[in-house]
Amino acid sequence: MAAASSSDSDSGRAESSEASSKWLDAHYDPMANIHTFSACLELADLHGDGEYKLVVGDLGPGGQQPRLKVLKGPTVLSESPLPALPAAAATFLMEQHEPRTPALALASGPCVYVYKNLRPYFKFSLPQLPPNPLEQDLWHQAKEDRIDPLTLKEMLEGIREKAEVPLSAQSLRFLQLEPSEMEAFVNQHKSKSIRRQTVITTMTTLKKNLADEDAVSCLVLGTENKELLVLDPEAFTVLAKMSLPSVPVFLEVSGQFDVEFRLAAACRNGNIYILRRDSKRPRYCIELSAQPVGLVRVHKVLVVGSNRDSLHGFTHKGKRLWTVQMPAAILTMNLLEQRSRGLQAVMAGLANGEVRIHRDKALLSVVRTPDAVTSLCFGRYGREDHTLIVTTRGGGLIIKILKRTAVFVEGGGEAGPPPAQAMKLNMPRKTRLYVDQTLREREAGTAMHRAFQADLYLLRLRAARAYAQALESSLSPVSATAREPLKLHAVVQGLGPTFKLTLHLQNTSTARPILGLLVCFLYNEGLYALPRAFFKVPLLVPGLSYPLETFVESLRDKGVSDIIKVLVLREGQSAPLLSAHINMPASEGLAAA
Amino acid sequence: MAEQRLVTRTQFPASAESLKPRLKKAPEFPILEKQNWLIHLHYIRKDYEACKDVIKEQLQETQGLCEYAIYVQALIFRLEGNIQESLELFQTCAVLSPQSADNLKQVARSLFLLGKHKAATEVYNEAAKLNQKDWEICHNLGVCYIYLKQLDKAQDQLHNALHLNRHDLTYIMLGKIHLLEGDLDKAIEIYKKAVEFSPENTELLTTLGLLYLQLGIYQKAFEHLGNALTYDPTNYKAILAAGSMMQTHGDFDVALTKYRVVACAVPESPPLWNNIGMCFFGKKKYVAAISCLKRANYLAPFDWKILYNLGLVHLTMQQYASAFHFLSAAINFQPKMGELYMLLAVALTNLEDTENARRAYTEAVRLDKCNPLVNLNYAVLLYNQGEERGALAQYQEMEKKVNLLKDSSSLEFDPEMVEMAQKLGAALQVGEALVWTKPVKDPKSKQRTTSTSKAASFQQPLGSNQALGQAMSSAAAYRKLPSGAGGTSQLTRPPSLPLEPEPTVEAQPTEASAQIREK
Repeated sequence: MAAASSSDSDSGRAESSEASSKWLDAHYDPMANIHTFSACLELADLHGDGEYKLVVGDLGPGGQQPRLKVLKGPTVLSESPLPALPAAAATFLMEQHEPRTPALALASGPCVYVYKNLRPYFKFSLPQLPPNPLEQDLWHQAKEDRIDPLTLKEMLEGIREKAEVPLSAQSLRFLQLEPSEMEAFVNQHKSKSIRRQTVITTMTTLKKNLADEDAVSCLVLGTENKELLVLDPEAFTVLAKMSLPSVPVFLEVSGQFDVEFRLAAACRNGNIYILRRDSKRPRYCIELSAQPVGLVRVHKVLVVGSNRDSLHGFTHKGKRLWTVQMPAAILTMNLLEQRSRGLQAVMAGLANGEVRIHRDKALLSVVRTPDAVTSLCFGRYGREDHTLIVTTRGGGLIIKILKRTAVFVEGGGEAGPPPAQAMKLNMPRKTRLYVDQTLREREAGTAMHRAFQADLYLLRLRAARAYAQALESSLSPVSATAREPLKLHAVVQGLGPTFKLTLHLQNTSTARPILGLLVCFLYNEGLYALPRAFFKVPLLVPGLSYPLETFVESLRDKGVSDIIKVLVLREGQSAPLLSAHINMPASEGLAAA
Repeated sequence: MAEQRLVTRTQFPASAESLKPRLKKAPEFPILEKQNWLIHLHYIRKDYEACKDVIKEQLQETQGLCEYAIYVQALIFRLEGNIQESLELFQTCAVLSPQSADNLKQVARSLFLLGKHKAATEVYNEAAKLNQKDWEICHNLGVCYIYLKQLDKAQDQLHNALHLNRHDLTYIMLGKIHLLEGDLDKAIEIYKKAVEFSPENTELLTTLGLLYLQLGIYQKAFEHLGNALTYDPTNYKAILAAGSMMQTHGDFDVALTKYRVVACAVPESPPLWNNIGMCFFGKKKYVAAISCLKRANYLAPFDWKILYNLGLVHLTMQQYASAFHFLSAAINFQPKMGELYMLLAVALTNLEDTENARRAYTEAVRLDKCNPLVNLNYAVLLYNQGEERGALAQYQEMEKKVNLLKDSSSLEFDPEMVEMAQKLGAALQVGEALVWTKPVKDPKSKQRTTSTSKAASFQQPLGSNQALGQAMSSAAAYRKLPSGAGGTSQLTRPPSLPLEPEPTVEAQPTEASAQIREK
């Protein structure tokens, strides 16, 4: 057993060292200050010199200072501020002619900024959305002062509730205003035309007409108004427009635009829609019943990570192939492609700091990092073909190089029975005392049983007697009579010689108030002095707890203490409703007094 | 070219751009949905702190008009357990865009979580008007109807949901309805379909396995539980159920190895420690058995099965006084089980309290319908008391039960019990007991292999009767019979109570019904 477990752990260690030996640690900077998503990481030969750079659309710490960073090796080559937070970055070839340097596209807000040679080259803005004609008409009337602000508001409200086309920001803001501010607002804005603009949520590239690696590509944009746009790479005109039932979050495209392509869009409603070239609407739909956190195509399989910590494989027709459970939440996913070996696999960055590499169901490798992984990217970097770029939650940057000799084999991760099976059971120990007691019981079991039974009877008898006595003399602190259901508890505060005694009296009936109660204290007058030993209780409203306070002075300085009895009486009745015995503490303040 | 580039560059930064309109009188309005994508990304990555920051920022900028920000804020509230707040925010969303079925769905979901099932169904119906082809609405409506105890309506809705799109969850809920109705066969039918649809779902596999276990179809039960364990070797329910089946087969070591996995994952599970305890009992390590059972009892002091096992082990250890306490505690929780009274009677007999023992036997005989051991033990007691007539009556009663059992199933009797019965028969001069002819033929070969050889037909759903029988027969053997029988008897098999199957299969429906009652 012990041997088995040790050999097991040995093999486990061997496995992990073997797995890590596939990778060379090239660079680790925990303070690289890079905060980004996988969608904003891109590796590209930006200058056409065969030296691949890392492009990072950085959100900045706390999403405050968006920057475009370009890294060469471990150093930042250039850094330029961005007008707004980048949603996605992509590199693509715009035209055929030499030199074939790829352009860099950064999607941010309603615009795509295109850089060439790291210089701003073009800015594409999403086309304005058609405004609601009714709304436009209303503002037109307002401009000509044919309509007063209040009617305008009512009409807009009506449009908002029914219309298919949502209102513009201007109208929505107007609806939020107080009546007094409306006039000014209308005067200020009436001359402007209504504008509706949407935002880019995701972006990817799609080959135009050739499948080659260095073929011209189109940009594919997903927008907040549930549309997909395909842009012409040269003229930046919209080549195709498709609509989705929800807002796209991740896109995955294969094929060529001019020939045939398939587009998978993971959306905010937890569904993945699959479209083809000729379809304006989705052809297939995968319902995840969870939120997708990543979408990667590996050969012909769509791999989806869900926020229920699992990876799913789907065909292009939406049929589920497999499911793998992850040990922690998936934060990001990306594709690992090793062209020389024809390997495609999916990498998943987990919240526990692991990067798991899966080919279909099989776990190929686990890379451990010191922090939760926020983005992943694999490809050619510098002059090294197989480089893994990882950024972590604290802003760290890790660069690892895959050894040229490394081969991924299935079962490189965990296999066989779970490790817990080799652990010894945590058994409670047997003690000497236990053994002795057992022996004694065996010898004298009958006697023990009889003695116990006899004592049990006695105990029950005493309890019954005490209970009967308490009932007879209303000694209990809770009165259960139908007319006066009452509860009493007392608190003594202070060190002495003066104590504060607080009685909490509560009427536990549901509706009826209680009137005409008296409280009486019984105590040894030689020991204690109370200002009032007898007083009336105010009307008790049901449910509330009434604190009744009184001071108690201890008269003796010998540290003696006694019981004070509290009786709650009804006017005109001599038997108390309930009573409490308060064990007074010994006075500690005597030395000073 | 260079000039052009310069121009574009100056246009580039937004600061320059946004300055221009600011100079004019009417300011540009920020796009409401500007950072929705970021909110969503933070949300799905469970980075709720960052998410809340962005939401706050965006809501400030848009003066609370950004619907999606409110929506995600509500989702986060709900995850954090502030369901009332989430409900209010979702209602705000529904006001901002009244045509969205999604907002209504979330309002209904929050209502559902607050236990307002009636209100939730109303809102779901409202949402269904806006979006008719949503399986989620149908499914959730079905779940609401389950809680409202309108099982027919619930079934309709769940079938609708399946019709729109098949999901494992819907199958599970449908199965639960059938279990609530007490229709095991239909439930199995549903779960079978579900397993066909998603063959790798361990929860479905485990549930189906447990259902088969309840019906006593052990082959299939083991098959499905085994499948579940292939896909998830650490599945708690499946391991416990499979382990308890192994125990009934006497594979204590294999079962113990499996339990180690659970012990690591769920170290505070009472059924686990109960089963481990009974494994040790089977291996005759009584002290270990007692300590494991005591831990189980510590973790679940109100579980009568654990108390029962504790009583049994203490009887075996000849600690009758302790056994008495555990058994009487068990009876307090489960007063309707004849075998418990019988064990109590055995304990009392050994504590030389014949009078109470006899009363316990009377109760046991009254409650028990099919276990011949109860009568046999009673007969032994009566015989030892010199009441041969009473003993004879009990003996005949036992023969009746034995015949009944033989007719109804091919159940084999514990050889020890048979031997005892024969001795008693001889002592009572009833003549050769014909009833035993069949099992007596080769009692020795059955000593240990009874269970393994005839596994499928042999076990009874609770598994405990058998075990009890064994235990009882041993207890009976402690008695000194005039014929000189008795001596030390061995327990051939322990009671491997498949404790887990019961809680897992039945607990959920009862839970649901309990909630309904609360309402």
